[in-house]
Amino acid sequence: MESFFLKATAVLYLIATAAFILYLLVPRKSTARGSLLVLSSGYLLHTLAVVVFSTREGFPAVAQTREALSVYSWLLVGVYLLAQIKYRLTALGAVIGPLAFLMCFSAFAFGSAGGELPPALKTYWLPVHVTFAFLGNAVFALAFGVSLIYLFQDYQLKHKRVPAVTLLFPSLETLDRLNYTFLVWGFPLMTLGILTGTLWAGMGWGSGWSWDPRLIFSALTWLLYGGLIHGRLTAGLKGRKAALLTVVGFVVVLGYFLWGDTVFPTRHAGRFE
Amino acid sequence: MREKSLMIVGLNHATAPVELREKLAFEPAELAGAARRLRAQAAVDEAAIVSTCNRVEVVAVARDTEAALDGLKRFLLGERRSSAPARADGCLYAHVGAEAVRHLFRVAASLDSLVVGEPQILGQLKDSYVAAREAGAVGAVLHRLFHRSFAVAKRVRTETGIGSGTVSVSSIAVGLARRIFDRLDDKTVLLIGSGKMGELLVRYMQRSGARSLMVTNRTFESAVRLADEFRGNPVRFEDFPRYLKLADLVVGCTAAPQVILRAELVADALRERKQQAMFFIDLGVPRNFDARINELDNAYLYNIDDLKAVAQENLQEREQEAVKAEALVREEVASFLRWLDSLEQVPVIVALREKFEEIRRRELDKSLGSSLKGVREEERQAIEDMTAAIINKILHAPITRLKQQGEEAEEGLYADALKKLFGLEPKHKPFP
Repeated sequence: MESFFLKATAVLYLIATAAFILYLLVPRKSTARGSLLVLSSGYLLHTLAVVVFSTREGFPAVAQTREALSVYSWLLVGVYLLAQIKYRLTALGAVIGPLAFLMCFSAFAFGSAGGELPPALKTYWLPVHVTFAFLGNAVFALAFGVSLIYLFQDYQLKHKRVPAVTLLFPSLETLDRLNYTFLVWGFPLMTLGILTGTLWAGMGWGSGWSWDPRLIFSALTWLLYGGLIHGRLTAGLKGRKAALLTVVGFVVVLGYFLWGDTVFPTRHAGRFE
Repeated sequence: MREKSLMIVGLNHATAPVELREKLAFEPAELAGAARRLRAQAAVDEAAIVSTCNRVEVVAVARDTEAALDGLKRFLLGERRSSAPARADGCLYAHVGAEAVRHLFRVAASLDSLVVGEPQILGQLKDSYVAAREAGAVGAVLHRLFHRSFAVAKRVRTETGIGSGTVSVSSIAVGLARRIFDRLDDKTVLLIGSGKMGELLVRYMQRSGARSLMVTNRTFESAVRLADEFRGNPVRFEDFPRYLKLADLVVGCTAAPQVILRAELVADALRERKQQAMFFIDLGVPRNFDARINELDNAYLYNIDDLKAVAQENLQEREQEAVKAEALVREEVASFLRWLDSLEQVPVIVALREKFEEIRRRELDKSLGSSLKGVREEERQAIEDMTAAIINKILHAPITRLKQQGEEAEEGLYADALKKLFGLEPKHKPFP
């Protein structure tokens, strides 16, 4: 059943993506409202899918890659809709929409479904750890979105071009400020995710840290984002360079999230040996 | 065919030089009086005057087209105190009927403007309409014509991108500034040099919210004078590099023969201001600012040619949108003409009904007086009803056809045929 909900969600996210692109081409109130409406409907359905699965399994639906991708994109869309209420970033939907769709789609295409959860993972640590880690990354996805728009806008301005679509985007100053806002929100969440994971591992695996590829990647991205915030505050790491680093950092995280487990099989991934 | 027609006589930026337009133009306060005088002309039933710096036009509804056109031309050229030059006559254009409707719709939609898509014309048109209405010179046709033209303008504005993108150098520069900066009221402008364009741009920036201003110039006195004028702070020319880090927007407009602001200086300033973005606008010819400034992160440099290129792009975009707008205008003209025609069909329909009713009545009375004499009351009523029904059935198809006729190509053909075939003489004025 949740598989049907998830498929329907993916379809709605795809329609929302098309609607956001239409909004960029035909910027009207109606196209803006329409695309947000489709995305929100997809989100409601998605919520249903997540809830149905979690109640049936008796634990949060995050253990397997398929569910993990689904929950991550669910958090991503939720965070975006919240940010939309506060900052009115309809144009950002053109980045978030396709991301959400890609993840829902990947959940089917690449993710292994179902499977019994090993008893070791059936603790409350799992939802806490995963929620923080995913939420942090969802907020970073917003930072990625505004940075992508920043780089586009910056490129156009440098090359003396002003296509109509740039009118829909906030100014560089606003985009840069949002980049900082999202980093500052995402970083503590990510830190909490890593901390809870370390504590849990310390109890479950006997040692808080192991040279697990996923842990190494997490540490690296944590350092990258931390360095970015530090650079912003002290060294004038602003504008284009900050946007570029944010984009690179997120692409690495996303890449690892999607394909890391295939390239570096580990007990941390959706397989439990 | 129509006993009354709509017409527009006038001249605009394309047909007449500005000196002539100036001579013929009406002050806003004169519009109502002039419309009243026009209305007083024998042939003219309704009239309004449109007068802007780019056009002077008379819109009228009149009976005798030829005579009225003549009267309108004489009015336009003769009305003005200063005698218009002899060649003025050649600058006038006259549109009648559908062409007149199309012309006014195009004017309202700013398709006929000097700068296509500029928004002022609609307000000016509204003023013209209000003045003419106050003068009592507006009837049903002009009332509807003007209101439709406002609606057309609104449709064109919302359904096409004709008003999008600005076309003046100052507004483009400020538009670009708004892409970089969220707001201008907390930004500082540095004006280098005292060129005219720089002054214009700074004035525009101040109107757009910029408050803090520094002015520098090779001769300190003129920096002081300009700073006074714009309520800014004068800065000595040799000191301005030290103040550069405070400036978010830097405008250069000097006649200096060499570059006065090198990229290295800007790189230093950017470092000192922790990479807060800077926008450089180089209005100087030759260039005032080092072209390499644009290669620095978070610095954006536009020179006068860049700004003009954007203006040109916007103009071309507007022209493309204008094609869409023309299609929209055609649609609206057709719809207005249908309404105009339906006005004209009404008298024919009434005359046709009256003719048939008259025949029915006469024949019925004749029969009731002779062969049908002595029928009972209910029988008489039945005969009445039946004959009325026959006539309604006969007339149903032709009247439906007449009412639809405005949409057909053979405008007025049926009305004419009916008039001839049945010998109809409308008792009502064909044009309300």
